[in-house]
Amino acid sequence: MGVFEFMLGRKKPSPGEVARERLKVVLAHDRIKVNPELLELIKMDLLKAISQRMEVDEQRVQVNMTREGGLDKILADMPVKRQKIAFEWDPPAYTPAANALKGNKLHVEVERMDEE
Amino acid sequence: MDSRVITITSGKGGVGKTTTTANLGTALAMMGKKVAVVDSDIGLRNLDAVMGLENRIVYDLVDVVEGQCRLRQALIKDKRQSELYLLPAAQTRDKNAVNSVQMEQLCQQLRPEFDYILIDSPAGIEQGFRNAIVGADEIVIVANPEMASVRDADRIIGLVEAAGKPEPRLILNRLRPEMVRRGDMMDVADVLEVLGIDLLGIIPEDETIIVAINKGEPIVYDKRARAGKAFLNAAQRIMGEEVPLEDVEDAPTLMERLRRLMGFGPALTEKRVRS
Repeated sequence: MGVFEFMLGRKKPSPGEVARERLKVVLAHDRIKVNPELLELIKMDLLKAISQRMEVDEQRVQVNMTREGGLDKILADMPVKRQKIAFEWDPPAYTPAANALKGNKLHVEVERMDEE
Repeated sequence: MDSRVITITSGKGGVGKTTTTANLGTALAMMGKKVAVVDSDIGLRNLDAVMGLENRIVYDLVDVVEGQCRLRQALIKDKRQSELYLLPAAQTRDKNAVNSVQMEQLCQQLRPEFDYILIDSPAGIEQGFRNAIVGADEIVIVANPEMASVRDADRIIGLVEAAGKPEPRLILNRLRPEMVRRGDMMDVADVLEVLGIDLLGIIPEDETIIVAINKGEPIVYDKRARAGKAFLNAAQRIMGEEVPLEDVEDAPTLMERLRRLMGFGPALTEKRVRS
């Protein structure tokens, strides 16, 4: 609020704010009793499930605990590879003709999946 | 009988459980209630000294539980309040001298005699803590606005919930308004956001509390003490009265105002207690 504050560019969090943020992280882990091994197992399970339908960038997948709006959450960050995936599927009658059928397989773009 | 058993606990030691118990008990008695304060910190007796009753102890909680004496013989009448009684802890025994069943029975024995039964819990989460909450209708958690205390309080909230007790309420003790204003201490809203429980009271850090404990006189008798006033307000809230939350902010000093104006002080954020 100070007149010169913008000149000083002071935006460092105060010790009180630091304590609050550190507490949030500590409590999220205390409450759920997650250890890194458990998170790793959950990550492998998720990867296994998602990989059946989509191709995920395994190197960049992150699974973490977080706290938002009074709820403890598992946050899974799974970047999808930007490439077409193929799977067998009986196209419904309204499928746009633009989706080329190759043999028995319909090629669906990942971006198209996101819109659903 | 609509007597209420309220346990004061914290997890972490040294945050002010005993002081809170003594002052809430005295305040409730000052407002005409029949009150028993029970020291369940067996082996580390202290509530008697905070209330200035240390010279009057003959029998203690363990004597009652073991049938060495009748309940009435162990209850010590307060110096000033005729309807306030202390049941002291044993000093020569340890926390395993009493079990949960015995503590629950003790609460049942006290209920017909009193409006409020306040139990001062030992620190920790072991048997002593479990004994202290087993017979309670309500739990009050005392915490200081610092990481270790709030973290332990969060753990206690979980254990209280697991014990099937209603959601505890918080006494935020030893808040230092000037530090909050500088941004050097978590404020009330920060702690409430993290813990997610209701507030029973905010007690500002107050040197006169130490003086009061030295003299064995609860701070609620000191009309000028801010901490005493805050305890009185908390006691009124226990009785179900609507009391606005105390404004723990001091007015900023002239120097602070100047520094803020120049941009050298902490931002003048609205950090008043939200009620």
